[in-house]
Amino acid sequence: MDFGSFLSAPEINIKIVTYRDIFQDKAMIENRFGEEYRDRSAILKLDPADLKQLSIKAGDTVILKNSLGKIVVKAEESGYETPHRGIAYMPNSPWSNMLVSDETGGTGVPRFKDISATVTSAKGEKVTELRF
Amino acid sequence: MEKNYYVCTGCGLLCDDIEVESEKNIINKVYTACRVGVAHMKKAKGETNFLVNNKPVDEATAVREAASILKNAKNPLIFGLGTSTDETQILAIELAKKTNATLDDTSSFCLGPLVEALLKDKLKTCTLEDIRNKADVIIFWGADPSDSHPRHLSKHSYFPRGSEKQKGWEEERTAIAIDIRKSHTAKICGNYFFQIPPGGDTEFIDALIAALSGKLPKTSYNFPPKKILELANILKGAKFGVIFAGLGLIYSLEDLEPVFRLMKILNEKANFHLVPMVGHYNMRGFNENLFAETGYVNRVKFEDGMVKHGPEYSVVESLKAKTVDAALIIGSDPLSSLPRSVSKNLLEIPVISIDPCETLTSKHAKVYINTAISGVESGGSATRMDGTKVSFKPVVETIHPSDEAILKKIMEAV
Repeated sequence: MDFGSFLSAPEINIKIVTYRDIFQDKAMIENRFGEEYRDRSAILKLDPADLKQLSIKAGDTVILKNSLGKIVVKAEESGYETPHRGIAYMPNSPWSNMLVSDETGGTGVPRFKDISATVTSAKGEKVTELRF
Repeated sequence: MEKNYYVCTGCGLLCDDIEVESEKNIINKVYTACRVGVAHMKKAKGETNFLVNNKPVDEATAVREAASILKNAKNPLIFGLGTSTDETQILAIELAKKTNATLDDTSSFCLGPLVEALLKDKLKTCTLEDIRNKADVIIFWGADPSDSHPRHLSKHSYFPRGSEKQKGWEEERTAIAIDIRKSHTAKICGNYFFQIPPGGDTEFIDALIAALSGKLPKTSYNFPPKKILELANILKGAKFGVIFAGLGLIYSLEDLEPVFRLMKILNEKANFHLVPMVGHYNMRGFNENLFAETGYVNRVKFEDGMVKHGPEYSVVESLKAKTVDAALIIGSDPLSSLPRSVSKNLLEIPVISIDPCETLTSKHAKVYINTAISGVESGGSATRMDGTKVSFKPVVETIHPSDEAILKKIMEAV
């Protein structure tokens, strides 16, 4: 068990893998500044055991943080049968892109599907707004 | 009664069997298209037409300002074009030459290497029609078309009763998913879903090659060898196999060498083709058009009639290194789609955004030109994900100029 889970606000390290979602794509086409697009983008799908370790339930907001930035998104249970503790899934979006590193090793290809971050409960904080 | 079919430019499938009901140039109903296609074709346009510094101007002023930005730049970046017609892309290449620009598109950080390999005949490929009519073993590798290309399985790859596959998916087709999560497509593949850990693709390819060669397949993540041997047996029996390669596979590989090795052995033992799961409707067209002109599919820099190529001319590296001093973005929203750590540098240079909808990029652009939705409000030609050329006419008329018309005017003014 990692040290973070003993803190009063448990923090765990996760690897975020991004993916495409048809409903999110449709929402983006209709209005990329709209509520539906935000609701379908700013989400993190976690293993139920990770939700438990974070002392949160599905629908609560969490803070995702790494050296690139910090965002608040809604936590969801992934629903996948195979356990995936430490790995979380997120639709590819401007929100996930706030945490993607510019370190490419000179290849020109960022690691969009391989994001390392910490996750903690956001204690009711609102989902990050989309702006620069 | 002769029916009037339209092409949907919502994704790289370019479905050509779309019917619409429209009145006064507003599309009320869309038939046959998927959820994404319907949204794309019914997309409502904003009121904004031409903006300079976020203030409304006329077309001539916007074009003049755009031309002036490009003229004053030493190394402008021209980027986007995945949702533009061939005609627009060819104009953009000309404009890049004329302005000594760096030119790149989204394939630079997605499927560009695969399209390049196909254009150089390094991989065997086929059309979606071939697949519909003949394919018996279909692999979705790091791809989830049920979400990214919603009609892929129903129109082409799995469910149709093709001319040589009349007994259909129930008896004559095997769909296989290799992925790190049970995607919607993987669910359809049932027992033929092979779940591997993130980054585990190269090892899985090596294990599969071992199994195809009659050796014991091993992976550091202890994937059951029996399952890999079973998969190898299915692949060996394929009369017409196809791998649909998605971003999940490509991002997991250092380079394409493992894919070349796998395709080589698959074609020694059976008959296999590869088709890239191209997202934007004409990304492949951009690769082909630039390849025809320069021998490169993306990441070029024009300089006094010469062309240079390399990762340093990619959109990501050139923004990161701040080597570009202006940007013309056509039909793309890099402030949303690139890592913010890279795209934030766009805020430091003058940006021209040519796009049918307002985006984060257009909101931060010095010049914004609201153009017709390519394929809905303007016509042209494009290349489908499998390399098939498709021409289309506009579905409705619009007051908005096409990106092609705007580029022509900018070209005349620089």
